[in-house]
Amino acid sequence: MPFERTKARYTLLMPAILYAIVLTVFPLIYTIYLSITNYSFGNPVVEIVGLDNYVRIFQDYRVSNSLRVTLFITAIAVPIELILGLILAVLAGLFPRLQGVFRTIFLIPLFSTPVAIALMGPNIFYEEGGPVNGLLISLGLPKIYWLSDPKIAIWTVILLDIWQWTPFVFLITLAGLQGIPVELYESATIDGASGYQVFRRITLPQIIPILLTVFFFRFVDCLKIYDVPFVMLGGGPGTSTETFTVYIYKLAFRGFNFGYSSALSVIFLVIVMTIASVLIRRLSQYYM
Amino acid sequence: MRTSARRIVALAVLIIFAFFFMYPVYWIIITSIKFPKDCFTLTFIPYLQFTPTLNNWIEQFEISGREILKCLQNSLIIGGGTAALATLMGVFAGYALARFRYVRWSNRDIIVYFLSLRMLPPIVVAIPWYIMISRLGLIDTHLAVILAHAAFFLPYAVLVMRDSFRQLPIELEEAALVDGCSIWQTLVRIVLPVSAPALAAVFILIFSFSWNDFLFAFILTSEKAVTFPVFIAGSLHAAGVYYWVLSVRQLLAIGPPVVIGVLMQKWIVRGLTLGAVRGAR
Repeated sequence: MPFERTKARYTLLMPAILYAIVLTVFPLIYTIYLSITNYSFGNPVVEIVGLDNYVRIFQDYRVSNSLRVTLFITAIAVPIELILGLILAVLAGLFPRLQGVFRTIFLIPLFSTPVAIALMGPNIFYEEGGPVNGLLISLGLPKIYWLSDPKIAIWTVILLDIWQWTPFVFLITLAGLQGIPVELYESATIDGASGYQVFRRITLPQIIPILLTVFFFRFVDCLKIYDVPFVMLGGGPGTSTETFTVYIYKLAFRGFNFGYSSALSVIFLVIVMTIASVLIRRLSQYYM
Repeated sequence: MRTSARRIVALAVLIIFAFFFMYPVYWIIITSIKFPKDCFTLTFIPYLQFTPTLNNWIEQFEISGREILKCLQNSLIIGGGTAALATLMGVFAGYALARFRYVRWSNRDIIVYFLSLRMLPPIVVAIPWYIMISRLGLIDTHLAVILAHAAFFLPYAVLVMRDSFRQLPIELEEAALVDGCSIWQTLVRIVLPVSAPALAAVFILIFSFSWNDFLFAFILTSEKAVTFPVFIAGSLHAAGVYYWVLSVRQLLAIGPPVVIGVLMQKWIVRGLTLGAVRGAR
């Protein structure tokens, strides 16, 4: 095998691996170190304080709040995105000629700059007669306080996440549907299967592996949600949309409390990577 | 008959959701061409319901044109630099992983390494980056953001390039090697020309990821190297309820990545899932 003889194989691979070690792995180790110190701006003496920062996490109600907020958003938004994306993909599959149009329209939210979406919030959800509440009022429905009611603001964040990420599920599922061999459908039709039966017995089993992969992708990424709740609402009203990342951000870059925020980062890292490991295992199988 | 009734229902559902996905963007577009007095009214159709105007666009460029252009330029430089750096390393490592077998660390281990990096929460690296980059005196430079973005999007470049190289027939490269080409010559003269579309797709998608990023750019810049999303985020409080100002800026921010997304449709499915799910088209 001509590919086995060369030394170039290390020269090719090393830049990427080393770059990632220097810029990602070392910083992570540094974060772990910071998490056992009291490092902060305006604190000239950096001391190792051991596990103090970690002990503090358990006494901080905003940690459990942000964990709850993050999990709530993920638990509601991701399943809806999955189901809605699947339904839309199956429906779009019925109209081969129009697929291109729908795909183009659905791409717009997916590629929109999250900050710009966050800034749409005050305009779209203008409570005294913007494009959403205005419609509700003209339909004789009560106004919804999208941004100012702490109980509702989190649903606004969820709605925007669904708006942006359902297209992701849609596009991938649609591509997956097109990969199902036509013969399967033909033989089912010959056997006289109904539309629902075809979906239940052929489409769904073929599409489930793809849906699972998409599910994990969304799950892991949704835990990191930051831009929209932070830019649109600053994590508020109160702390009602303060996700884990938003809280860590505030601790680190508003309070400049790097020690404590690093400890929280480490905890967050462990949570995310534990869940991500399932996805990583799944994905690494595709690469064999 | 029954099937056609069903098709109509299906189409109706699709159109309703197309409306759902378009509505906010449409609203922003018409807000940007409304006179301020019309911005708080529930009107949808230009000429019929309100008089359209380009004033907001012109005014934006007259009042803060320099700032806007500077931030757009910063985003362009950072996006381009990031894409170039990540794609370059991605091509090399992707090719290596596609064609060589590694022993001490198996190919699978290396792929798991890059996949794990892809899953990292950005905030976790943001804190040490901020500290390291301010110690190096690089805060508020293009280079700082490029280095950070390239590190964050590198796994994507490696995995997607690896996936697309993997799909090329190996025989041509083997023939070239047997004929005495070096690996580098084979890569540059034979592999890259065939992979130009994948290369362009990775470059351009990373450009749009970098363009859309907020967290890293927000932390690492303050004045000179501010990217466009960071700039518009700052204008929320300054502009308050001046929706006509905001909408112009939002459209400028959304424009480039959305155009890229639409043009790159074919590549997106494979791209966004790191090649794990292959698009039929």
